[in-house]
Amino acid sequence: MTTLVGLALIAVLCFGYYFLRRSSPPKELKPKNAELMKVLLNLEDEPLNELFALYKQQFGPGAGRYARETYQKWRAGEVNPSRRTFSRFFMYLPKVMSFDLKCEVLRELRAQYLEKDKYELEVYTDDWKETLQPLVTEVIAKGESAQLPAAIQQKLSWLADDDVEVARAILVRSQKTESENNLAMLDKEFATINQLLDNTNGKGKVTHVLKLPLGTITLQIKRR
Amino acid sequence: MEDNNDDLIPQKQSLFPVSADDIVDNALQSLDENQAREVTKKAADELVRIAVEKRKAEYRSDRAQDEMRNLINNANLLDERVGDYKINSTFETATGTTSVEIKKSRSNTIILISAIAIFVLIALVLLLIRF
Repeated sequence: MTTLVGLALIAVLCFGYYFLRRSSPPKELKPKNAELMKVLLNLEDEPLNELFALYKQQFGPGAGRYARETYQKWRAGEVNPSRRTFSRFFMYLPKVMSFDLKCEVLRELRAQYLEKDKYELEVYTDDWKETLQPLVTEVIAKGESAQLPAAIQQKLSWLADDDVEVARAILVRSQKTESENNLAMLDKEFATINQLLDNTNGKGKVTHVLKLPLGTITLQIKRR
Repeated sequence: MEDNNDDLIPQKQSLFPVSADDIVDNALQSLDENQAREVTKKAADELVRIAVEKRKAEYRSDRAQDEMRNLINNANLLDERVGDYKINSTFETATGTTSVEIKKSRSNTIILISAIAIFVLIALVLLLIRF
């Protein structure tokens, strides 16, 4: 009897837990310090060296050496940075960073945390431009207005500084120009794809994954 | 008496939010000379970076085109010499990745034609038996 009651109780608890999990709203992004550190240490060599030099200059050679020695472990997630280390990198250093370095940190944060969408589209070699144009315009426009998640903006309050706003504008403009430059080459690529489909007499199947900063569009390309 | 105090008149507000350009213009105005210089330098660096990336993309595009032409030639050669073949290739282009599959299966075609022929034959036999 007791066993039955126990089993029933466990079943009720499991059901309750499952029900609560299903009905609760999706979890908000709460980036952990270790995760943000990984993003920061993903910088290219040049800005990364500048970051460590700045760290050493601000907190002394001992701290600088420790950061140099440990950064691979931070990046690999083998060691979690202490709260103090995190604060030094993310709260204090941005105040003394060069604009260039701040731009690079922002670029990494945007690459990691801006939402990227995936689209699929079927196009023909004779109408791809008209079919693709509205979607490409939408994805590029999304990149212009995209903001980092609120949780990150709250955690890293320096993101609201005036110079970061300017950095964001520069990065957005660069991203847009890069997308436009690449898309200008799509004409040439489609000419080759058309040639390929033409030469293979219906035996060829072509898929092109168009990569844009804030999304990828998978194109199933067909020939009439 | 008419009240001419403008301060009491509620200020009209735009129905539209401030644009991103306005925000940037305002932000730029609040930067000091050194920061403004750094911004100008970064903007110029970005132009150079974009030009370099464009050149790299053009190179990728040219290389992908050459590789695709080679693929067409190989497929044509196989077409002449081999009955069945399947080629899968991926190319890194300026705008992304192109995947190509070229498949020719003569035996499959033969099987299909045979199956249709057998089906027609059976249908004819059944018709003949019935009448």
